[in-house]
Amino acid sequence: MKISPIAFFAIAALSFYSVGCKSVNNVERANPQASPSYVEDQRIITDATLANKLQILSINEATVSGDMLKIQATLQNTSLRARTIKYRFEWIRADGMEQASPANSWRTVRMQSGEVRAISGIGPSPQIRDFRLKIQETKQTIL
Amino acid sequence: MKKFLPFSLVILALALFSGCATNEARYIDPKGTETIVSLNKINIQDWNQAADELVADMLTSGVLDRAPELPALMAVSRITNKTTSQADTNSLTKKVRVALNQSGKVVTTTTMGYGGNVEDPMAQELAQMQTFMSGEKQQTRLPYYTLSGLLLEDRAKSGNTNQVTYTFQMSLTTTSDGIAVWESEKQITKIGKKSTVGW
Repeated sequence: MKISPIAFFAIAALSFYSVGCKSVNNVERANPQASPSYVEDQRIITDATLANKLQILSINEATVSGDMLKIQATLQNTSLRARTIKYRFEWIRADGMEQASPANSWRTVRMQSGEVRAISGIGPSPQIRDFRLKIQETKQTIL
Repeated sequence: MKKFLPFSLVILALALFSGCATNEARYIDPKGTETIVSLNKINIQDWNQAADELVADMLTSGVLDRAPELPALMAVSRITNKTTSQADTNSLTKKVRVALNQSGKVVTTTTMGYGGNVEDPMAQELAQMQTFMSGEKQQTRLPYYTLSGLLLEDRAKSGNTNQVTYTFQMSLTTTSDGIAVWESEKQITKIGKKSTVGW
């Protein structure tokens, strides 16, 4: 059987595309009982490709341990393949100064196609009022 | 000339996309993503992530607010390393301590330690000297909490691909009754054929 070069490349491309292409089906309560406190956010997009493939569905806040600010961002991978992203929260005190924490570093999360996932962080001290969330796509590793 | 123009553009593009890769020693951000990912040891980013997640878990649980006196006094107990790599468990406990201290919920004693090993022997000696000089028995504040933990390792291999999982377990116990009021476990799994630079 003779396969034309075009058909060969089409099959190869399809095989490559189908690798890691399984998407996630999400099921949740139709009328959520939780009443999150949403944060009005502004976004500075420098990687439009990532912004299109990874949607920030919402950002909400809560107070934990009495007076500590907790921020949660709910993300969805809207692309057709799994993606690994790295993210980091930076924390700003009431006086506008950023506060460092020894353990606050970049973290990675791998999201399957269509998956909805929450990432969160807690401000390092009760003086924290604001935050900055940085999201970047990592280099992909295929074993 | 026209022939060389596309070639030059390709070279220029390659140079631009290659970034600043160099073999020479340089400084990098220890909290950044240019650090080395090893399959045979716990890396700096692993300690950071484990400490960050454990502290977040502890604060979210609200257990620290139940102490009768804030900030509550905590002593660091035994942190057992059962991994195959030599690791200083202070890489984890110090980060947890600093983060808890910054939260204003907990302070750590440096004059009491597991097995009599104190972190600051001079402070302990000075306290004893103060007691001797004043001639009165000083009231010693005992820790309300102790922090203990365990580091575990699990390895798996398939062909040339190695997988290693490091498990960080931690417990917070109230000294008055010996009850672990908070416990948590964080796992970090790495997979690959060899160590890499950046992630």
